[in-house]
Amino acid sequence: MAEDHLWWRVAWRNLGRNRGRTLITTSALAFGYLSAVVMVGLTDGMSAELVENGTRLLIGQAQVHASDYLPERSMYRTIGGQNGVDVADLLERLEAHPDVRAAAPRLYGGGLVSGGEHTEAALLLGIAPGRERHVTTLLGHVTEGRAPASGSREVMIGVEMARQLGVGVGDELVLVAPAADGSMGNDLFALVGIFDTGTPGIDASYAVLALDELQRLMAMDPGRIHEVALTVSRPVDTPAIAEALGAYLGSDPPTEVRPWTALRPELAESVALMDSMNFIIVLIIFAMAVFGVANTMIIGTFERTREFAVVRALGSSTGNVARTVVYEGIVLGALALVAGVAMTWPILVWWHRAPPDLSALVGGFSWSGAQWRPVLRVEYSLEGPVLSALALFLTAVLAALYPAWKAARIPPADALAGR
Amino acid sequence: MIDSSGTAAVRTDDLWKVYPQEPAPVQAVRGLTLEIEHGDFVAMAGPSGSGKTTVLNLIGGLTRPTRGRVWIGGQELGSLDDKKLARLRLERIGFVFQAYNLLPVLSAFENAEFTLLLRGVPHEERRARVEALFKEIGLEGLEDRRPSKLSGGQQQRVAVARAVVGEPALVLADEPTANLDSTTSAALLEVMERLNHEHRTTFVFSTHDPRVMERAHRLIRLVDGRIDEDRRVEPAVPAR
Ligand SMILES: Nc1ncnc2c1ncn2[C@@H]1O[C@H](COP(=O)(O)OP(=O)(O)O)[C@@H](O)[C@H]1O
Ligand SMILES: [Mg+2]
Repeated sequence: MAEDHLWWRVAWRNLGRNRGRTLITTSALAFGYLSAVVMVGLTDGMSAELVENGTRLLIGQAQVHASDYLPERSMYRTIGGQNGVDVADLLERLEAHPDVRAAAPRLYGGGLVSGGEHTEAALLLGIAPGRERHVTTLLGHVTEGRAPASGSREVMIGVEMARQLGVGVGDELVLVAPAADGSMGNDLFALVGIFDTGTPGIDASYAVLALDELQRLMAMDPGRIHEVALTVSRPVDTPAIAEALGAYLGSDPPTEVRPWTALRPELAESVALMDSMNFIIVLIIFAMAVFGVANTMIIGTFERTREFAVVRALGSSTGNVARTVVYEGIVLGALALVAGVAMTWPILVWWHRAPPDLSALVGGFSWSGAQWRPVLRVEYSLEGPVLSALALFLTAVLAALYPAWKAARIPPADALAGR
Repeated sequence: MIDSSGTAAVRTDDLWKVYPQEPAPVQAVRGLTLEIEHGDFVAMAGPSGSGKTTVLNLIGGLTRPTRGRVWIGGQELGSLDDKKLARLRLERIGFVFQAYNLLPVLSAFENAEFTLLLRGVPHEERRARVEALFKEIGLEGLEDRRPSKLSGGQQQRVAVARAVVGEPALVLADEPTANLDSTTSAALLEVMERLNHEHRTTFVFSTHDPRVMERAHRLIRLVDGRIDEDRRVEPAVPAR
């Protein structure tokens, strides 16, 4: 409409009147956008780091168990019950799912490890080394020797347990474990590797051997496993993926798929906390922007009091006066958005590709059962930038509302007289 | 639109405007009753503070009277809400101000077509009307200039164009020549007279310049918010 066009034109040209001020306001908004998006990206990066660190060492991002396995972890509750499952088939089915990156079978047992004079209680973990590498980083932490191979009596223990037992690679260990048939399994194993995860609980208590070796020790068939650990395509979305996987696997055999949020609830809480922190930070940034923009717009409209009065005297409605001020906010918001996006995306992408590594300054550390990389990592999804863009635009429009209302309320006669 | 059934262009009845002020309220207009005919060319004279601006604002519906009533072409203003009053101003009243008050972000042409745009007049018609008017009052070639690139006299002529382009029944001009030198003042008066003559537009303008008063067809002299003198004037220079 011609009239609407007029008010857009007036708004646009008014912004051009004080270019310096418009530039400053636009830049402030654009920087607000930049900082909001980068803040969100950084906390998302921290969340991702938190999730990955908290899951990749041992637990994986999701786990499949027999539906009655947790929380007791009875050794009899293998997937598929006493008869077990076709493990190869189960793994194949899991890996066929688009959201599953890798799957690794596991068996657990409680037992004793003796070497020389000493004996320690141990958590025996049977793994398929070739698959485990794709799900967890455990095998990447072998500092001496190598991982145990299947089909041979080999075992790997943590650096702390090795210290307590006073043994080293090449020594022989005796493993004793209650077996599924009610007997006590025991056998002699060669210590082929020592791992150092940096997490004392793990380094002191895990004895890792090939899945088939542990099955043999515990008198279990090759089809009996307690767990399949998974990595998924989007760790942050694991709960939804786990649910979909549960339905995908069906109920034969009865299984349960648990996401890391259920396995590590404290980790999930940390992530939720960071998300709400995110929200608050963005809120603060844009609240500051609202007042900044409103301030300049109030000054801008105050300077034009007489012009608004003239427009009113000529027969414009108060609505039209308010409209042109709001249009100014919209144009300002759009300009800021273009500037903000133009300067934010390159920074975001660059940061994502090459996160500054602070290892030289702080070094890694262990917290909450995981090893941490001191890396300022930025993750981005479409959500953060798009929501921030919306917030930016709303900010500009919102900031225009009060000045618009003020402008509409200018009494024409007094303003014309300069009173 | 223009009322020809004998109703006056402007009528006021016992009009009062009192500004609540410390220490004492200011009685800017005190019991003003008058009638202005269609097509008249009226000067409202009087010293500064005599109430000229207030009277024009009351007639134009920019201020509400403390007491009394105003009719524009038979329409009583007190019965209209602000929105309807704005509509009435848009359709029936043109304003010219002492300080020109053109919108600085619009060109001369855009300023002149402003009220037509508000009324939704199509582009072609707007252009035709503004162009004809600019030619008539000697603004040809200045269409694209911003007000800051025009002289005072040129700005005020654009303001007059803006006021009359919509062919309002009434044009109110508050000291339109006060910021102009005498030659430019005379030229502007001539433009106003011609528009009054050719379009039968009613003009009411305030002034305290005797040379401007002389050009009016009717002279109303205000003193302290009251009519001190009201007489018809023989134009010294006949309108061309
Ligand atoms: N908004 C206002 N508030 C208070 N007093 C006013 C206001 N407008 C005008 N006045 C007073 O009313 C009187 C008439 O003013 P005005 O109509 O501007 O006279 P003129 O235009 O003839 O100079 C003056 O005394 C002026 O100070
Ligand atoms: Mg005055």
